[in-house]
Amino acid sequence: MAQALGEDLVQPPELQDDSSSLGSDSELSGPGPYRQADRYGFIGGSSAEPGPGHPPADLIRQREMKWVEMTLHWEKTMSRRYKKELAEAPGDPQWMETIGRDLHRQFPLHEMFVSPQGHGQQGLLQVLKAYTLYRPEQGYCQAQGPVAAVLLMHLPPEEAFWCLVQICEVYLPGYYGPHMEAVRLDAEVFMALLRRLLPHVHKHLQQVGVGPLLYLPEWFLCLFARSLPFPTVLRVWDAFLSEGGGLTGVPVEAWAREATVPRGQATVHEGGRAWSHEAREVEAGGQAKNGRGVEQGQAGLPVSLGLRLDTAIGAKVLFRVGLTLVRLALGTAEQRGACPGLLETLGALRAIPPAQLQEEAFMSQVHNVVLSERDLQREIKAQLAQLPDSAPGPLPRPQVRLAGAQAIFEAQQLAGARRGAKPEVPRIVVQPPEEPRPPRRKPQTRGKTFHGLLTRARGPPIEGPPRPQRGSTSFLDTRF
Amino acid sequence: MGNGTEEDYNFVFKVVLIGESGVGKTNLLSRFTRNEFSHDSRTTIGVEFSTRTVMLGTAAVKAQIWDTAGLERYRAITSAYYRGAVGALLVFDLTKHQTYAVVERWLKELYDHAEATIVVMLVGNKSDLSQAREVPTEEARMFAENNGLLFLETSALDSTNVELAFETVLKEIFAKVSKQRQNSIRTNAIALGSAQAGQEPGPGEKRACCISL
Repeated sequence: MAQALGEDLVQPPELQDDSSSLGSDSELSGPGPYRQADRYGFIGGSSAEPGPGHPPADLIRQREMKWVEMTLHWEKTMSRRYKKELAEAPGDPQWMETIGRDLHRQFPLHEMFVSPQGHGQQGLLQVLKAYTLYRPEQGYCQAQGPVAAVLLMHLPPEEAFWCLVQICEVYLPGYYGPHMEAVRLDAEVFMALLRRLLPHVHKHLQQVGVGPLLYLPEWFLCLFARSLPFPTVLRVWDAFLSEGGGLTGVPVEAWAREATVPRGQATVHEGGRAWSHEAREVEAGGQAKNGRGVEQGQAGLPVSLGLRLDTAIGAKVLFRVGLTLVRLALGTAEQRGACPGLLETLGALRAIPPAQLQEEAFMSQVHNVVLSERDLQREIKAQLAQLPDSAPGPLPRPQVRLAGAQAIFEAQQLAGARRGAKPEVPRIVVQPPEEPRPPRRKPQTRGKTFHGLLTRARGPPIEGPPRPQRGSTSFLDTRF
Repeated sequence: MGNGTEEDYNFVFKVVLIGESGVGKTNLLSRFTRNEFSHDSRTTIGVEFSTRTVMLGTAAVKAQIWDTAGLERYRAITSAYYRGAVGALLVFDLTKHQTYAVVERWLKELYDHAEATIVVMLVGNKSDLSQAREVPTEEARMFAENNGLLFLETSALDSTNVELAFETVLKEIFAKVSKQRQNSIRTNAIALGSAQAGQEPGPGEKRACCISL
């Protein structure tokens, strides 16, 4: 698993013959930017063509970093807090021992993590320790190790830490805590999706007694970092991190109209709108536009669809990748026939030939999974309702759950807002592109190169309006 | 073993490795099934498994060894792990007393999820680190005796007692199974144990006889 960046990418074989029971593609040709996404589902990806077979290593790094930057919560106070409270403080002894045992067990074949005194293991120690101090009630979950390790391959510890926070709390709440309740829920959701999309595979898994908890946790908890070739991992992470932020044609504006929200929260709406706005910008060929009105095209969608803030729908990518893997392993009758029992079936899920996991072809298949946001939300709601009361630990709470339950949460917020209650401010904040804004304490994240951003992050607060954009430069203009 | 037809049967015994994070479960697994050991094996997240077939007398027994994360919070998602298990190795690190102190908790966890008749061996691993020992052999042996557990000290690193540990457990299971079958044949009743549910024999294997103990 620990293949270095920049390894040669094998040209992908043809796409797998669809001999499975996947449904039609009609849902995929849905509204909005999905039609105009490039073939990996990337809004703003400049290539409708297959990319070069061998992207250079630092380009890969830049891609990763840009997406990661977008999700970070850049405030100077946070930076100061990290240094004082988290980095310098001694860790909770209970966790330090456990964390210490695991440091040499993450990507041990990666050059960065080989030495106990090296940046890798020391960075891991810092980041994981910081998290147990930041969220003592959550403590340490071993799956945070691989996640933090991948982040540290691209970011210095402080930035990696904040990204980990976002992943654990915004993208995948309920995954890494003491009860992992969201993992259990998602396992049920995954089976339900399997039953609908790959019924023969589902039946086979039932017959041999392979439940989702036997293979799904490592996939989802580690965001596939241990299950896919590394370039593919980065592509999955790209998609996972970037889908948070209103990129799927949601009329966030409609929602903003619905709710009376206090000033502080408006940023998110505008951020979401800006994100959608940018998506159209790029889709129209990369010309900078002022066209806020472009979103009118989405207005026809029912408002209920707009109730998702989409700050945390990255999990949809996880489901898509999981479904793709299951299909690659067991999609044909022949494959299932070769797995008459539980162990063979589990073995097949772990032994998909790497050639089928190469990023181009694989991500193409991930993109083609017929799974709409609405499907996923519906399934999540259904499984939430069916969770047995006797299950250990807390039920996944809608207000911290991502995706579908997020919709429930937003609906509650909406209702609350109407009644005048003060909603929570969502965490991801994105600067809108064109408006001059009053001085903000967080640095500009728009239109900057990664290196420029990092330097900014440590500097004094940024004053004044955004710098003039050159052409279509934006975070979504990834120049992949 | 008496009855000649028993030689036609193959057996599949599911054995689970349990114990605190870092005690060496994964290396015990790899040492037994692949004769491998690694200082830097990855943290186990989710479930791992491996198999090895051994001969017990004239019977071919396929040992299905399961390994999972030891960290407490994973218990929430690993209850399915125990299903159908007929044997367990409860592993502690004899250089870390804390991993031994929680053995009772692991036993409770085991009995909460597995059959009460499951064969259990207490294993004190890392015997190669003799200078760093924190758990006296006699103390652990007494505990095992008082609780009806088998006991061995092993080293996955230098292989000491690893084969013996697994084989002892498998033999014990096999003895129980054989006895059960003798009783069943005598009374002319075949009881399919609940432990059998969900277990499928591998390709070419006939269905294993009842393994409810």
